[in-house]
Amino acid sequence: MTDAAPPATSAPPRSLPLWANPRIGLVVLLTALVALFATLRPGFLNTYLTLVPLQADISVYVVVGLAQLAVLSLGHMNMAVGRMAAFSAFAAGLVHDRFDVSLPVALLAGMAAAGLLGALAGLIITATGVNSFVVTLALDFALIGLVSLLYAEFTPGVAFAGQPDGMAQMRADTFADYCVGDVCGPPIPLQVPFALVAVLLVGLVFRWSRVGREVLMVGANEKAAKLSGIPVRARIIQAHALSGVLAGLAGFLLAASNGAFSASIGDGFLLPSFLAPVLGGTLLVGGAVSVLGTVLGTAIVQVIYKGLNLLQFQVDELKLYIGLILLLALSLDRVRHVVAEKRGVPA
Amino acid sequence: MRPLVRLGSTIGVAMLLTLAAAACTKKSDDPDKGSSALTPAQVKVALVPGGAHPYFQPWKTAGDKAKADFGLGDVTYNETAGWDQTKQNDVLTSLAAQGYNAFGIFGVAPENINATFTNLKGKGFHVASLASCPAGDRNEADFCLSTDVQEAAYKAAKAAIEAMGGQGNLVHLTGNKVDSNTQRRIAGVQKAVDETGGKVKLLDTITDIDKDLQTAQKAVADLLAAKGTQVNGIVTTAYNPAVAAAGGVKQAKLPIKVIAIDDDPTIIDGIKDGSVAATVLQNPLGQGYVGSYALEKLAGGCTMTTPGVIIDSGSFVVTTANVATYDTDRQTKTDSLKQDFDTKYLTCN
Repeated sequence: MTDAAPPATSAPPRSLPLWANPRIGLVVLLTALVALFATLRPGFLNTYLTLVPLQADISVYVVVGLAQLAVLSLGHMNMAVGRMAAFSAFAAGLVHDRFDVSLPVALLAGMAAAGLLGALAGLIITATGVNSFVVTLALDFALIGLVSLLYAEFTPGVAFAGQPDGMAQMRADTFADYCVGDVCGPPIPLQVPFALVAVLLVGLVFRWSRVGREVLMVGANEKAAKLSGIPVRARIIQAHALSGVLAGLAGFLLAASNGAFSASIGDGFLLPSFLAPVLGGTLLVGGAVSVLGTVLGTAIVQVIYKGLNLLQFQVDELKLYIGLILLLALSLDRVRHVVAEKRGVPA
Repeated sequence: MRPLVRLGSTIGVAMLLTLAAAACTKKSDDPDKGSSALTPAQVKVALVPGGAHPYFQPWKTAGDKAKADFGLGDVTYNETAGWDQTKQNDVLTSLAAQGYNAFGIFGVAPENINATFTNLKGKGFHVASLASCPAGDRNEADFCLSTDVQEAAYKAAKAAIEAMGGQGNLVHLTGNKVDSNTQRRIAGVQKAVDETGGKVKLLDTITDIDKDLQTAQKAVADLLAAKGTQVNGIVTTAYNPAVAAAGGVKQAKLPIKVIAIDDDPTIIDGIKDGSVAATVLQNPLGQGYVGSYALEKLAGGCTMTTPGVIIDSGSFVVTTANVATYDTDRQTKTDSLKQDFDTKYLTCN
């Protein structure tokens, strides 16, 4: 349900060998990395110091990856993904600060604000025909200034002092803290279900919904989509709005893990937002997305980061090794793809 | 049909989860968490700045010295946080998983850092906020040992105004605008300017130029090209702008009084040759050394007399008059800080 591309014509009913499935490759890589780091540093398997924070990080960055994936489906980019998250955190903080609303209302307000920004980006792209890269980059610049000004206007500094009830629990608790009788939940942080719902919904949209399939058609060939009667403009605006909504959710989740609605939310989102979907097999040119691949891609990046952290690499080595491991992962995937093509297996 | 089945089952699972959630109760916190006393050899201290920055380099020396002087199990220095709070939180939990049990932290985001402190303390670790205190009125760390940045900026601006002869145009160069410490520095400079009753005008406050030296050098070059002749004094409250301003003004041969911060060799040379009027020194070595000492005491069973107390690690104005002797002043301050912990801040049985 997560791997989606426009319907292929008369696909042969031939089963795909396991090694040719890119997702299997990612799972193998992920397992190998976990085994490697766990051997080198037993602390890697420490539940509360490693695994729980790791799950929380993966939750945030999966949603960031999905926000980018929503527009990559069109062959577009969203360079403002981080600042949309910052704007969402601001909106959520503001409604809580002024109207003392509960956590779900603040979350919805934040997502709605970021969604509107996304829709605005889509509207500008369709109205002017300017490349999405340029439009969202310009939007990003504008938002850097706007977010900073808004915080200066509405807060004493660069963050809201208060948070809705429940956000502290989202940061600190896991399901293991909640029990029915003597049976307690697993050590999974409370952010995970939010990300899970996002993954399921985005997967459903691109796999099963008409709108999602039409967005992918637009991404594969805009002209053909138009001639087939697909409302191309509406689909572009909708995909960008979805990207905004997801960026908003990611901003909220990060605000929960970091402990405040602040102006610096989303600063580090841009690169990971591309990394995870691309590593997971989503095409930059549009027309095909892989939601499950994005989840695996995020998990791999975060595991590498955590593992290298545990090995106590210094800052430059850390960046070097992350770059090298990612290059290796992408190259291996490419090799697998070429071999598969030679043997006539679709991959 | 299949999508409907899937949607139906998804909703079903969600409803089951909701029902389960409604029936559950929260487990109360374990009160005994991590309160056992450790011997110095069991204490492993991690000094974690917000990212790589020359200011924190003395922490390495301070850590090594503390390890030797107090017989600590280990002291490590980790600057991989890269000025990102999320990454810093990650670095901290990774260090904890490695067995480090006491943390001296310069938080990347002062507005969020209390959450990080609460998390670590909830797991039974001891935490010092070093070189920067959390924004707002609360400090969730055991203590905060830092330069009072508003006071230091005020001192720097006063020194600049004095060097300018009490009148003229002043420019303030500083760091990240969305950092609440920068806001305090801006307030400190403003206070000194306000006290002149209009004789000194704050011409410009240039922010966000402490990322690296190139950014700061470009900003200084632009400033001198555009307004060099109107400016009488430059006060800098961040490291890179200070180095850039000292170099830029010297090169442009303008009669601008520069007040720098910290003791980069360029700046100390500038004071010696007169191109820098004064510099405001902080005490990073003392923060790392005394911070590690106090963390070891806390892990050994002492408690803070006032939990979350904020302690000024000292700031010193250095001019040509005391450029040769300033390190002695700083050492004296460090010694007295350590003594203050023994006599005032810590309660030991």
